[in-house]
Amino acid sequence: MSDTVSRPDLERSLDRLAPGESGVIARLDCEPAIARRLMELGLVPGTSVLLIRRAPLGDPLELAARGMHLSLRRSEACLIHVSPS
Amino acid sequence: MSRPADSAPGRAGLALAGEPRPRTAAAPRRIAILGNPNAGKSTLFNALTGLRQKVGNYPGVTVEKKTGLCELPSGRRAEVIDLPGSYSLQPASPDERIVRDVLLGLQDDTPPPDLIVFVVDATNLERNLYLALQVVELGRPMVLALNMMDAARGRGLEIDEGALERQLGVPVIGISAARGEGLGHLRRLMDRDVEPSNRHFRQWPAHLKRVLDRLEARLPRHSRLPERARHDFALALLLDDGEDDALARSVPPDALDDAHTLARRLDTLAPGWRSDDVEGRYETIQTTLASAVLAPGRQRDRVRESIDRVLTHRVFGPIIFILLMGAVFQSVFAWAQPAMDLIDALVGRFGQLVQNVMPAGPLRSLIVDGVIAGVGTTLTFVPQIAILFFFLSVLEDTGYMARAAFIMDRIMGRVGLSGRAFIPLLSSFACAIPGIMATRTIDNRRDRITTILIAPFMSCSARLPVYALLIGAFIPNRWVGFVTLPGITLFTMYFIGIAAAIAVAWVLKRTVLSGGKPLYVMELPPYRMPSWSSVALGVRERVVLFVQNAGTVILAITVVLWFLASYPHGGDTRALEAQRASALASGHTEQAALLNRQISGTVLENSFAGRVGRFIEPAIAPLGFDWRIGIGLITSLAAREVMVSTMATVFNIGDSPHDVVPLRQSLRNAIDPRTGRKAYSPLVGISLMVFFVLACQCMSTVAVVRRETNSWGWPIFMLVMMNVLAWLASFAVFQGGRLLGFGA
Repeated sequence: MSDTVSRPDLERSLDRLAPGESGVIARLDCEPAIARRLMELGLVPGTSVLLIRRAPLGDPLELAARGMHLSLRRSEACLIHVSPS
Repeated sequence: MSRPADSAPGRAGLALAGEPRPRTAAAPRRIAILGNPNAGKSTLFNALTGLRQKVGNYPGVTVEKKTGLCELPSGRRAEVIDLPGSYSLQPASPDERIVRDVLLGLQDDTPPPDLIVFVVDATNLERNLYLALQVVELGRPMVLALNMMDAARGRGLEIDEGALERQLGVPVIGISAARGEGLGHLRRLMDRDVEPSNRHFRQWPAHLKRVLDRLEARLPRHSRLPERARHDFALALLLDDGEDDALARSVPPDALDDAHTLARRLDTLAPGWRSDDVEGRYETIQTTLASAVLAPGRQRDRVRESIDRVLTHRVFGPIIFILLMGAVFQSVFAWAQPAMDLIDALVGRFGQLVQNVMPAGPLRSLIVDGVIAGVGTTLTFVPQIAILFFFLSVLEDTGYMARAAFIMDRIMGRVGLSGRAFIPLLSSFACAIPGIMATRTIDNRRDRITTILIAPFMSCSARLPVYALLIGAFIPNRWVGFVTLPGITLFTMYFIGIAAAIAVAWVLKRTVLSGGKPLYVMELPPYRMPSWSSVALGVRERVVLFVQNAGTVILAITVVLWFLASYPHGGDTRALEAQRASALASGHTEQAALLNRQISGTVLENSFAGRVGRFIEPAIAPLGFDWRIGIGLITSLAAREVMVSTMATVFNIGDSPHDVVPLRQSLRNAIDPRTGRKAYSPLVGISLMVFFVLACQCMSTVAVVRRETNSWGWPIFMLVMMNVLAWLASFAVFQGGRLLGFGA
């Protein structure tokens, strides 16, 4: 999972993924306490995430990682950067 | 999977120290059930303890403390604690804080358990094992229960439990709590003294290690903290955000200041330090699972995918949500009604019975009109609570609730709440009491209190009789386009409540309940069939809690109100009573009934309640209300619909349903004795309805808020806030209306 070479030019924020598209978490730019929490829930750098869908009103997002599904608001998702898987 | 776990003591280098020791006279073994939300903790707790459960609160917080008794194979008894679901020992909610405090020995009323049964969802091992590793590291005796093994097998997932045992250093057992599978083995394990694991999974980076050592030296030696957990305690201090009172209390103040300084220094020296250990644990989990998972099984959950495609669909999702909520709401209303009527009738019948048996006098009046009527009022809420919580727990256990929150999050986010707040608010249209009790699913404390405070603005079913009376009396039944004026009025009242709730939430979230932007992240669990026994236990628990806690307060208030409305017997009713006696003697029952009503009216008018009604008249006169409405406002503190029967008593009219029409007429034709003109204009009716929308009159709600927030501060705040708002709004309606010429 974590063998991907870091290519900042290819990175996107998680909320820019299209439904059905996946990426590998490169870094979390949130404030430290929130970053720690998201990582404790399994979103550590190197984890592959799949964007499942957006809620009917466009926010929040549903994503799958490590065999579980999480719902995350765009305001947080835009601080998580993913590189192509 | 079905291998007897107790056949191999000491296998894989872990010590199951000795056979169960029969200690008959010993205190019960204290066993804690711990795990992530949705791992099936509560199902296991229910399976182990059945009906022998006790629910209370941890002191000073709103977190629920559930304990139960369980018989162990040796005959020893165990006290089982169902700890709140938690994702991490670094707490993000009051629930998680309790878990950490219990495990670190900071929770005075709940010492650390003798054994932890850690429940993981076998189909979601990676994330579930994170907290499990944290707990293993603490060095407390622990058993790892792989739950939902039936679902795991169904997917073709194969786990080598022995390998997992060797890696983690704790006994591992596969179970299915919902099917009762493996529980016998688990009970036998619960009977043994399990040696804590000696495994360390985290490597502290050198700089962090130095800081932790330094902080550790400052920690007071307290016996409950295992030696190995001292580093974890030091890390908790380093990560402290300054809002953690339990942590602050547990160390000398300068140690905490020191920790904050050190944390800031680390931030510049080693920016990633706050999450290094998290990455380390996930690496350990990956290597552990690489050897322990023999076959990963199907990764895709097709059932989930196809259900979600419909339930969270852009168009169908919200439609299904609205229909489903409509159905729940309707059944709370409709299904509860016959049961409520039945309870009402039974209580009435019982009251009649006591009335006939007991000699007339103040004691009979107290028991019949005070105690029995008061308990009756409380009990009529039970059907609504039971039905609502039946649906809520089915929706929660199947996994739909998380989807509902997912759909509603955007809308609720506008006022600063999360999607979880929607359902409690919707429930409050039936009754604010179950609605407020349903806020327990909101994990953010500020969001939860905001939701509790705005829930009573939703027009509950008890306001409906009052609206119906006033609309019937004052609003002409005229068609306006394709709706009627009464319909528009009723809709407006509901709308005013919703608007007030939104406005108050908006203000609260920016003032008293503002604070750090919480992280909204929510797990969307797989769909599962609910465990019906768990649903039944949950409903029972809610009902018992309500009757016990709110019941006592409501009863006390009703008795006080009974006293206020019955004493002192100031007015001269003797002449009327003599007339009644002669009317009865000559068989004029109708005249006797009329006199009866006149007697009640005189008694009420001269009672404390009547005097208070007159006393508060100057305060409510600017709203268009006179002392007679004042009496109604006092008695409606017991329950809003009591307003209707009070008005009936004041105007000497029976309060049976076929008397509603005369009551409407009486209200319309009531004369103000001082001016000789009509006392109530339609504007007074509207002003009174607006007052009922916004005022906090229901003392049962106040009692429940007191219980749910575990403080008197919030219910008092709510009482003052709502009633000030109600007064101002009615003032604006009445005085504004008069200025516009609607006063007549």
